[in-house]
Amino acid sequence: MKRLGKKLSIAAIVLLTATGSAEAGNSIVIDGSTTVGPLAKSFAAYFTRKYNIAVTVSESGSGNGAKSLINKSCDIASMSRPLKPQELSAAKSKGVNPISNVVALDGIAIVVHPSNPVRSLTTAQIADIYKGKITNWSQVGGPNANIVVIQRESNSGTQESFKEMVVGKENPVTRNAETQASNGAVKSRVSLTRGAIGFLGLGFADSSLKKVAVNGVMPTPVTVKNGTYPLSRPLYFVTNGQPSGSVKQLVDLPKSVDGKKIINELGFINKY
Amino acid sequence: MNLGTRKLLDRSFTALGIGSIVIMGMMLLVVLVPIVFNGVTANVFRGTVEHRKLLYNEFRRGDKAELQREIVESDAVRSKAYAMLDQFEVEMSSMDEAKQAEYQDKYRQVKESLKALLGPRPGGDIPELTRYKYGQTRWSKAEEKLHELLYEKQWDYSNPDAEAKEYFVSRSAGFQGTSLVKLFPYVEENLDRMLLPEWTIYWGFITDSSIDSHIFGGIWPEIQGTIFLAIGAMLFAFPLGVIAAVYFTEYAREGFFNSLLRSANSTLAGVPSIVFGLFGLAFFINTLKVSESKSVLAGSLTLAIMILPTIIRSAEEAILAVPKTYREASLGLGSTKWNTIVTVILPAALPGILTGGVISLGRAAGETAPIIFTAAVSVGSAIGLADVFNSPTPALSWNIYNLASEHEAASEIRHVQYGMVLALVTIVLLLNMSAIILRARISKKLKG
Amino acid sequence: MNEEGNATAGRSSAFVVSARKRKLQKITKSAGESLLFLVAAIVAIIVLFIFYFVARDAIPFFQIRGFSEFFTSSEWYPADDPPRFGALAIIYGSLMVTAGSALIAVPMGIIAAICLSDVLPFSMRQYVKPVIEMLAAIPSVAFGFFALVILAPLLQSFGGPILMWTWWLIATPFLLLAVIVSSELLVMSISDDVRRQQVQRILASAFGIVAILLLFFVGRGLQKIEILTGTNALNVSIILSFMALPTIVSVSEDALQAVGRDMREGSYALGATRAETIIKIILPAASSGILAAVILGIMRALGETMVVWMASGNSSHIPDPWFNYLESVRTLTATIAGDMGEADQVTGSARFHVLFAMGLLLLVISFISNFISERIVVRQRKILSGQ
Repeated sequence: MKRLGKKLSIAAIVLLTATGSAEAGNSIVIDGSTTVGPLAKSFAAYFTRKYNIAVTVSESGSGNGAKSLINKSCDIASMSRPLKPQELSAAKSKGVNPISNVVALDGIAIVVHPSNPVRSLTTAQIADIYKGKITNWSQVGGPNANIVVIQRESNSGTQESFKEMVVGKENPVTRNAETQASNGAVKSRVSLTRGAIGFLGLGFADSSLKKVAVNGVMPTPVTVKNGTYPLSRPLYFVTNGQPSGSVKQLVDLPKSVDGKKIINELGFINKY
Repeated sequence: MNLGTRKLLDRSFTALGIGSIVIMGMMLLVVLVPIVFNGVTANVFRGTVEHRKLLYNEFRRGDKAELQREIVESDAVRSKAYAMLDQFEVEMSSMDEAKQAEYQDKYRQVKESLKALLGPRPGGDIPELTRYKYGQTRWSKAEEKLHELLYEKQWDYSNPDAEAKEYFVSRSAGFQGTSLVKLFPYVEENLDRMLLPEWTIYWGFITDSSIDSHIFGGIWPEIQGTIFLAIGAMLFAFPLGVIAAVYFTEYAREGFFNSLLRSANSTLAGVPSIVFGLFGLAFFINTLKVSESKSVLAGSLTLAIMILPTIIRSAEEAILAVPKTYREASLGLGSTKWNTIVTVILPAALPGILTGGVISLGRAAGETAPIIFTAAVSVGSAIGLADVFNSPTPALSWNIYNLASEHEAASEIRHVQYGMVLALVTIVLLLNMSAIILRARISKKLKG
Repeated sequence: MNEEGNATAGRSSAFVVSARKRKLQKITKSAGESLLFLVAAIVAIIVLFIFYFVARDAIPFFQIRGFSEFFTSSEWYPADDPPRFGALAIIYGSLMVTAGSALIAVPMGIIAAICLSDVLPFSMRQYVKPVIEMLAAIPSVAFGFFALVILAPLLQSFGGPILMWTWWLIATPFLLLAVIVSSELLVMSISDDVRRQQVQRILASAFGIVAILLLFFVGRGLQKIEILTGTNALNVSIILSFMALPTIVSVSEDALQAVGRDMREGSYALGATRAETIIKIILPAASSGILAAVILGIMRALGETMVVWMASGNSSHIPDPWFNYLESVRTLTATIAGDMGEADQVTGSARFHVLFAMGLLLLVISFISNFISERIVVRQRKILSGQ
């Protein structure tokens, strides 16, 4: 019994040591936005497969990504909004020189439950819904049902972009708004909740949701790229100084054929 | 009150008590049954030939010749379906423009659905993402996709003042009068020959790394991270806890200071887990800088603090439960106090101490809040023992949260989430059950 | 007792210990003991450190923003410009789900503890205890997953019927009992046996009709309720009660056991039924211990993070009306976990420190309630041993 235990523990230790990472020390750390998350994760998988370089991805929000970059605890901060002035000055004071590289474009899709007959909303209407001035779908030409407003956590770049583009920086979002931690969470909440409205990255909006036209324009890769869809923004990989070596390879991936393919397949829009 | 009513009240009181215990048992079942039932489907399911292709291509597992034979067999059936598509494309090019426009979108949807079902067409464009490289690997999902191919989900928006109801439209009806009509019954009838489902036990779910952010593959990095974190926490907390317990039981004199230490212990036991996370971030990472940022080490230290009170308490109880006669006999034989503790009391109390340790191990494995800021990342490969000092790790508890509420395809990979929950619950409950059994043995032994 | 003497006497070679050796032994002994003490004191040091480090990052918040906004305003807009840090709604959310879970877990837990200690035979107890331990051992994230993936959709699509059936299942036996007992209590003053039975029958049927109507109409009312969102305070309260139950049961069972056999036997000897004994004798004697159990259970619910983060909906508002458990709420723990993403200690904004302020609040609450429950237990032990 005792000897068996000893053998087992030795076996376990050997097993655990044997499954070490591909190349210790030569790894890339990405931290930041959940919107860019699918892209970062797919890039990471591609990179690990092709160059055998380990890439870890944390999806903890754009703000956290910037923080990690400033603390020099990540190589790439993935962000769904530009760096803020405070972040820039904090970076300068710590000797970090953030360089923003655009990886892809993304539209912010306004989504509702598929049972909702509303097809189109104006930015003013969406703003009023999020300010709490409109609380019933009948006020915007829909059925008599309460609106369940769904927003993102305050660390979200999508939330900040949405607020800036639609609600206005100085206007608070209604306190009745439910808060979800990620695009995926918004998607599952809206797809399960009649009467819900939410916003998320275009790459997340699949057939379980109904996309609403904003000011009469549907969010599609074409309308986002040519700028007719009003709610679109670039996504960034922010690096400390000009990227070099394997980090540069990763940052430049969107310019390559394979990178473009990944971006397309995930539902984002190529910039290059 | 007469006796009858009193008896009735007494009976109903008993019933109430038993009822509430039954409800507690039901709670356990209600939580565990769906987890076990759905979690098992992560390991045991009807895997299609696509699953076997995936296994061979990504892990070099499986019989190549057999797989080749299956691929040839299924391709023979599939090629007829593809031929129908080609035939329709030819037919479409000969139509007038208005008709072409009418069919174009519908045809694209059919092609997309078929691609989702069977994977990309051989010889065509190969997608970059692994999730699009294969057709449906699970038969149950394939059946869902088949339904999507055969029927289009639509919503009745005719009445703008009411919530729309969903209804399904047969796709084949949309292609009435064209050659494509044949495709739908053909795929429906021959799907099992195209995908060749057979019951599969996929142990790789436990031992493989994930592929394409958990859409395929297993959960080994998470399991390993959990093991590292829990064992790391034990390495710090167990010796400290046992020594502290020895002090409390053998050396401490009753007094103000001692009671202060004891209240400190119970205070520590009551601190909310998220506060441990905050403390770990502020102390271990920002102040001590045990690592640059999140790391297994920082997470283990944080978890160690969290489980310390439990270990101390259970070790104390175990030491106190050692019969007095042992101690007296040892001291009487002339051994010193310290010698008695090390050679007599601790060995006698060891099973009890271990019980507490095992339960704490389970708690450390299951906790999420303390490792959010100190150790956990959502995607990462399994790390080696040498990396624990500076690299973060995925861990079951955090990744369950991450996959269930942050993953972009959270509702598509429920089976992976259930599998993870099952793995975590199994680890924790196995540890707890072994503790329960251990304790039962001890009490038997003590009774004689 | 001369330990050194005993020790050396055991060895055959040396009967006399040199002064130097004795001194050395003394030094090692005291050094070892102080080392042990140091290790034991580590716990206290950790507690102090936790307070210090959480407070160190929490105090700047109050220096920047003052106290009144945090505790009196419910405007939680940490990311806006200018930001607003009113945490009232969040504190309220924490209290709300805690109270909700206590409402379920406390009565159930106490009754289950009574059943364990006084009703079930010992052989049965052996099987029930592991169930409670397993319930306690299930990781919180598994409960959170259950709440999010299984319970929330269920509540959303069958919320009304679920509420109705719960009401029926719980209320029916209680109302039945109430009808019988109240009809009997009311006729106690009538001395004539036949007449009393007649009146009792009439009363019972009258009450019975009222009870049935009550059951029916409340059930109908509940059935009509449409739950807009399944991730709400009710969902979280239910799951948190699962988590608080084991603590409440095991600690109050200890308290009940501590009361001792002689009190029970005395009561039985006077002709009391088991229920009467428990309610009138045992519960009052064990009340302080049970109170401690309740406090500990409530603390477990208040400090829980994953369940509330995943399944409370996280909207920082006070529900309307204030007791509406079907609306989403946000709690302190979930806010810390969720907002830490933007908590940039680099720029040193109030937004980072406010989360530590919340942590400090939780810490202080848990410290106070722990202190109280500990005092209660100590006092009870003294009283019981004094008797």
